[in-house]
Amino acid sequence: MLSRPARALAAATMLLGLPAFAEETVRISGWGGSEVAIVNGLLTNVLAEKLAKEGITVEYEPVDGDFSQFILNGLSAGTAPDLFYVDIFWARSIFSAGQAAPVTQDVSGFAANLLEAFTYDGKLYAVPKDFNALAVHFNKDIFDDARVAYPSDDDTWTTLQQKLVAVHKALPEVDGLCVVPEYARFGAFALSTGWSPFDNQGKTVLDEHFRRAFDFYTGLVKSGAAVMATDAGQGWSGGCLASERAAIAIEGAWIISALRDSAPNMNLGTVRMPKDPESGKRGNIVFTVGWTVNAASKVSRAAAKVAELLTTEEAQQWVLEQGLALPSRTALADDPWLRGGQPEQMASRVVLEGLSDDHVAPYFFGEVGGSWMQPINAALNSVILGEVDADTALASAQSAFDRMLAKQR
Amino acid sequence: MSRTSSEERSGWLFVLPFTISMALFFVYAIVRTAFYSFADYDLFKAPGFVGLSNYAALISDELFLIALRNTIGFSILVTTVQTVLALALAVLVNHAVRARGLVRTVFYLPSIMSSAAMTLIFLWLFQRDGFMTAIVSVVLAYRHHILLFFVGFTALQGVLVLNARRTYEGVSIFDPFFLLIAAIGALALVGACGLAGLLPVFDNHLRISWLNTQRHFLFMPVTLWSVALMNVFTTVPTLMLLFLAGLQSIPSALYDAAEIDGANAFQRFRHITVPALRPVTFAVVTMGIIGTLQMFDQVAILGDAAPLASRVTLAYYVYENAFPAGASSRIGMASAAALVLGILTIAVVYVQKSIGVRERGD
Repeated sequence: MLSRPARALAAATMLLGLPAFAEETVRISGWGGSEVAIVNGLLTNVLAEKLAKEGITVEYEPVDGDFSQFILNGLSAGTAPDLFYVDIFWARSIFSAGQAAPVTQDVSGFAANLLEAFTYDGKLYAVPKDFNALAVHFNKDIFDDARVAYPSDDDTWTTLQQKLVAVHKALPEVDGLCVVPEYARFGAFALSTGWSPFDNQGKTVLDEHFRRAFDFYTGLVKSGAAVMATDAGQGWSGGCLASERAAIAIEGAWIISALRDSAPNMNLGTVRMPKDPESGKRGNIVFTVGWTVNAASKVSRAAAKVAELLTTEEAQQWVLEQGLALPSRTALADDPWLRGGQPEQMASRVVLEGLSDDHVAPYFFGEVGGSWMQPINAALNSVILGEVDADTALASAQSAFDRMLAKQR
Repeated sequence: MSRTSSEERSGWLFVLPFTISMALFFVYAIVRTAFYSFADYDLFKAPGFVGLSNYAALISDELFLIALRNTIGFSILVTTVQTVLALALAVLVNHAVRARGLVRTVFYLPSIMSSAAMTLIFLWLFQRDGFMTAIVSVVLAYRHHILLFFVGFTALQGVLVLNARRTYEGVSIFDPFFLLIAAIGALALVGACGLAGLLPVFDNHLRISWLNTQRHFLFMPVTLWSVALMNVFTTVPTLMLLFLAGLQSIPSALYDAAEIDGANAFQRFRHITVPALRPVTFAVVTMGIIGTLQMFDQVAILGDAAPLASRVTLAYYVYENAFPAGASSRIGMASAAALVLGILTIAVVYVQKSIGVRERGD
């Protein structure tokens, strides 16, 4: 709450139309790639006038390479920017260290599960700027050539697998899917069974639900529905789709910008993640990024204002309509652009729908961090490669979880 | 002022810049690291003294024990292989009379490539159905051909040398002319047998996981064997140059005298080359031990291409704790592991100096 003199000053400022901040410079930073186009576009095309009116100059410093390391080093050395990206994957390490200022703006328009993802100790520390979830992206031409029905929203794991096997049989040089032995993709299948990464006591239990998803995912290669991405000379399933080595890819909406560069003429279709045939439910993983104000910033109020402007409905609509990212504001879920028939519009719409799948979990693993995924990734890898059987791999993964989580207590 | 004290002062002035940089970047850093190794510190909160807990946590951390085992195995393997290969190559290059410059340049090429570029090339070569798998596949498919070639080659060379010795004295078993004839004869034999259909070709559709595997071979994960191969390939040329410089400083009169005394090539190598190269060998082995114990870049670039437990070394373990993915920094653990690595390096170099290759002979 502002004090009386401050309120009077603010009112006078508004009446006189003077800038709220006396020519303050705010340093902002995020990672490179397509994000540079998003932030530069917002700053020059959408927010230039508003920022000038507020008397704020923004210095944008995109960083290529490991951004979390850049921020950790910058924060510990006192050289970090005033406003910066936090990925849900590592945001907790910044929040718990007291390096982020709590968000004070009105956040009622944002998706609740995204806000929850950036809440620590009951306080919100980042304004969600966008999000992503997994979907099935497919090359319609390959399915046409193979005379196989397109994947659909009604597909279960089994029906999708059957379609992929049929594609590979009809077109032996094409595989159904490039699988990666990573929780970041497999997790959506495990979640759809009703399995949860952490139980009520904070333990990870690889139960029979998990086993069902594990057997399905690791069996994709053996059944002829998939190939390991590395065996196809690719590091991710989107690379296989772009090179027409695979008929489908399980990725987020980030695949759109990758395909725009590497396969601009692809006849792309996108449908929701397949359902678990037993539970009839869908699972998904949410990846989200937010803007956080540096707790040590000397211009924290101006930085918070920039965060607010960068995530207004107008700003997010511009980003959405450029096909660059999905909005974190729920009001934009009905944006007319999303109802369009262009592949990137359909893909964005389907990915947005993924946020309301039956079992959705954020891509975040508490205090343990990314090392939580290692036992699962190692088990997936060794079983897909045929080095050990599922029983041995999962027993080893379970004992790794038991040791890991015992250490946390 | 005496001349001695003036010289002493000049000496101190000369070493002053290095002393300052040592004090700042080594002594200060090591004292801080030692302090943090006894503290709970995440880069932000004030460090809290925790006694020996970080060291106790290291001993009970399975990943640390794997990293320790991997590092020691990798260091012994790579240091041994690269020293032997570098010496062999140096001797070979030193004797190559024709195109010596070209041979040296070609052999040195792998060392001028950046480690990152080399690792990316090897990632491609080490794909499951990549170049390395193709080599193994060809060897397995034509194993009878290869076996017959070597048997035929050895037999022919033996017959030719024994026959020549009946007429002339001192015919070497490695006589180059006979070697050429034996090789041509053995190739003809293999070709003839192959055409006659006497040698089967084995069909195989091999897929070997050189990097992305949790399998072990002997004392080390298969992944680290592949990294060792890559490391040897990039390091041997530099070490070869050191040996070459050492070889060229050995007076040729020693070899002439030994030859007059009737010493054969192996005896000359064993009793002249090896002892004369002792200071260089000491330097090569010591640098090899230090470099391999601190192996980081090549395993870091591998990243997700290989499981962590299959590629983790002590230096990488330090990094993993300082910047864990998605979690708060564990600077205390990282510092404790860094000190263990430092002490291990000093200890191994000392043990090597005491019981391994010494700088000077007895």
